[in-house]
Amino acid sequence: MKKRPIGKTILYVILIVYAVITLVPFLWALSSSFKSLGEIVSGSINFIPKNFTIDNYKEIFTREPLFGRWLFNSLFIAVVGTFLNLIFNSMAGYALARLSFPGKKSIFIIILAVLMIPFQVTLIPNFLILKAFGWLNTYQGMIIPGAVNATFIFMMRQFFINFPKEVEEAAAIDGLGKFGTFFRIVLPLAKPALAAQTIFVFMAFWNDFMRPLIILSDESMFTLPLGLNSFKGQFISYWNYIMAASMVFTLPILILYAFFNRYFVKGIKFTGEK
Amino acid sequence: MVKSSSSKKLRREAGQGYLFMAPVLIILGIFVIAPILCAIYLSFHKVELLGGTHLEFRGLDNFMKITFDDRAHIALKNTFIYVVIVVPLQTLLALVLAASLNAGMKGQKFFRIVYFLPTLTSSAVLTLIFMWMYNQNGLINHILDMLHLPTYNWIGDPSVALLAIMIMNIWATAPFFMVIYLAALQDIPDSHYEAAELDGATGLQKFWHITVPNLRPVTSFVVIMGLIGTFQLFDQSYIFSGGSGGPNNSTLTVVLLIYQYAFKSLGTMGYATALAFMLAIIILIATLLQRKFSKEESLY
Amino acid sequence: MKLKKYVSAAGLTALLATSLLAGCSQPDESESSSKTVITLSGWGGNPVEKKLLEEVLDDFEKSHPNIDVKFNQISDQYMDVLKTRLIGGTAADVFYLDAFEAPGLIETGAIEPLDKYVTKDFDVNDFEKPMLDAFKDNGKIYGFPKDYSTLALFYNKKMFREAGIDGPPKTWEELEKDAKKLTKGNKVYGFGVMPQIERLYYMAESQGGQVITNDRATFAEDRVARALQPILDMHLKDKTAAQASEVGSGSGGEMFGQGRAAMVMEGNWNIPFMEDTFPKIDYGTAELPTVNGKKGTMSFTVGYAMNAESKHKKASWELIKYLTGKEGMKTWTSKGFALPTRKSVAAELGFDKDPLRRPLVKGAKYATVWQDGPMLPIVMNNFNNQFLSAYLGERPLKDALKDAQKQANKEIKVAE
Repeated sequence: MKKRPIGKTILYVILIVYAVITLVPFLWALSSSFKSLGEIVSGSINFIPKNFTIDNYKEIFTREPLFGRWLFNSLFIAVVGTFLNLIFNSMAGYALARLSFPGKKSIFIIILAVLMIPFQVTLIPNFLILKAFGWLNTYQGMIIPGAVNATFIFMMRQFFINFPKEVEEAAAIDGLGKFGTFFRIVLPLAKPALAAQTIFVFMAFWNDFMRPLIILSDESMFTLPLGLNSFKGQFISYWNYIMAASMVFTLPILILYAFFNRYFVKGIKFTGEK
Repeated sequence: MVKSSSSKKLRREAGQGYLFMAPVLIILGIFVIAPILCAIYLSFHKVELLGGTHLEFRGLDNFMKITFDDRAHIALKNTFIYVVIVVPLQTLLALVLAASLNAGMKGQKFFRIVYFLPTLTSSAVLTLIFMWMYNQNGLINHILDMLHLPTYNWIGDPSVALLAIMIMNIWATAPFFMVIYLAALQDIPDSHYEAAELDGATGLQKFWHITVPNLRPVTSFVVIMGLIGTFQLFDQSYIFSGGSGGPNNSTLTVVLLIYQYAFKSLGTMGYATALAFMLAIIILIATLLQRKFSKEESLY
Repeated sequence: MKLKKYVSAAGLTALLATSLLAGCSQPDESESSSKTVITLSGWGGNPVEKKLLEEVLDDFEKSHPNIDVKFNQISDQYMDVLKTRLIGGTAADVFYLDAFEAPGLIETGAIEPLDKYVTKDFDVNDFEKPMLDAFKDNGKIYGFPKDYSTLALFYNKKMFREAGIDGPPKTWEELEKDAKKLTKGNKVYGFGVMPQIERLYYMAESQGGQVITNDRATFAEDRVARALQPILDMHLKDKTAAQASEVGSGSGGEMFGQGRAAMVMEGNWNIPFMEDTFPKIDYGTAELPTVNGKKGTMSFTVGYAMNAESKHKKASWELIKYLTGKEGMKTWTSKGFALPTRKSVAAELGFDKDPLRRPLVKGAKYATVWQDGPMLPIVMNNFNNQFLSAYLGERPLKDALKDAQKQANKEIKVAE
């Protein structure tokens, strides 16, 4: 590796330039959030605020008392939704890989077909079904329809097909039933696949904008993206507030990330260990 | 005796199989399969759900309308341009970043943390940050000005509004795929590289002849995910244009159009489902084409 | 084995069929409580406006102890959200309804006609007629206007003095001349314009052309093009007019406040905005300049309407009656955030004597109300999209209008 200093320099240039490109928008937003409206409007491009102020943060919390609630809603929906996905998708994946039952093949084909259908097709009927259930504007209306995911059922099936059979056989000898084997032995060993799923599913719930836009109507039920958009609607051109609000919404995730950072890269694998 | 116990065992396993499958079957049945059937039904009707349900059978009318609806054509065009530009660029960028990170440089942990930031941030937040930077007097125009490049009214000018969304999305999505590449890169055995080094291969040669081919299955996955994601572009256009797809329809995407016909204009829900089916078919074709080109079966 | 397959298939089908039926049909829900709680939906408005509304609602609750009102704010994409909720059955009992969107919504039957609730003491004739008519369909009233605003010319007095201009322009020709004197390169424009039909509708029809005839777009004609050409000329030839986004402002009011435009056409909302955000700017208002010697302006009005599926129609009416009644309207408009639609309230509050608001009040007499049937939203979208390209100089106005009309009519066909 030490042989090519030029190559190394180029690599560093790439890495640093892109790090700057990544960081600038965040820093700019952060700096704007500490500026007064006057400084924002004047259109100067100093990253260090001339008159550093935390008024924006104070203001947004007094003007929008629902901030904490939105954050909670987003976290609740994403955490519960992700948890259900992990269990349900893995169970189905395991059954499709390891158990034999009539209709297995047709079910598998249906799941493969579902994988190809974009959710816009089902958007309107889904809305009507949620309405019939009385689930509009509820947590379950947000969570349950997204509690399984064809892509990850498929992924988990692939994972379990490659999973060593001996482990389960040993568990069976120890007298564990299928459920016991699955939850106590198999699932803990599936961590790498589950980690990948966790990130994907969590981000999908966390970023989801279209479904909450249609399903959630009460402001106190809003998720973060929806709340932020509504906040933007109220304070158009008060970019100091909007940026402060954006920062408030971003920080908790960054803190979470700082704690779980080491799991991220190692965790994301899409095929089973061969 | 033996036979009956084995059929009992079979039956038990079948029961367990259904139990394991039950949550998935119920949820997929109610929230995916039933809606698909319902959507097929709706797509043949004029549907107005305001003030009570009004359904009126219209045969293939809704599908015919797609042929003369200019906005549908514009939305399709915009979406295609978007997909064709964004998918290759974000895939390439993700690959280059991952390979650079994987080269065993000092401080790669730091870079990895930084690069992952956009992925962690909600797209609604990112869209707002970018709208702020794209402002006429905003940061991006100032930087362009400093470099003596032309500045643009990024959000208000129809000729660049979609480009503005593309730049933002490549920036936001590439790091996500980078992480996927990164995991795959760690699986390439070092012995491959060592052998190449003995043959005197340069870094770039190693990249093209070892890294890229080894990453083919993952690339296939990344491209398919990218295709599905880009074809369904909605949030960014919605927030950028305040739901209109403007200026001058320049940020109108197929999904935004579906949304507009379903929930904005009156009496066009049936047409919206017809459009959704069209999109489904397009995505299906795109994925099949991708598969044909890459001839990879390992993931799908 | 085979039998089982059929059974499982049948089970699955049954499951699907029930959920399908459940989804496509709509069961009724009912609720009951001793104290009636009704919800009211509206868009946000600024903090002072919000406080005012809270005050009015408090007054209402005091005088109606058995009704509680819950205010539910929809601050972004109000109409989309409202429609979605009406479909979903989660919409409020009473909601704001922009006159412009009213005809389409009324047509669907989602809005309760109010005639049967009206009593004599409500005094319907007290409302400004054009504003009330905007909520009528087939002789029935579907909403009562809560307030309105016309457009007036806001002009920066300091800039006018510096340019040596005595007072605001009286005619469009004068405005064009003044704009030339007031423009300073691309830093300050004489005229801040919104190239959108909702602001220019009265101008578009000033030469006899019609924007919409019998639910079809008909604006692609010489009379409309001629009427609107001056706006384009000011932007492209004289370079004395610009829209807010061209100078990095978020709205016409902001552009005016930041001193990037010497004149703008804005409504009553701009007065509190200026006071709040740009208190130092010395400005005046005047009636819009005449076009071809004729006075004209736009009038925007918002009403209260009742959800036809409301479970508390009586209580909802009580609320509407209070909010658009003399007492409620007086409190609501007292601070001057909006102009009262009742003549008696207007006389009492004396806005016609307020120097900044007088031109706005005067305009009410000859204003064109921004409402033109159920197809106006579609027409507006297409018009604005294409008009912008003409405004930016990408192609001649006539071509743009032709395209816009063609597209609008296609879209109307799609919607039918």
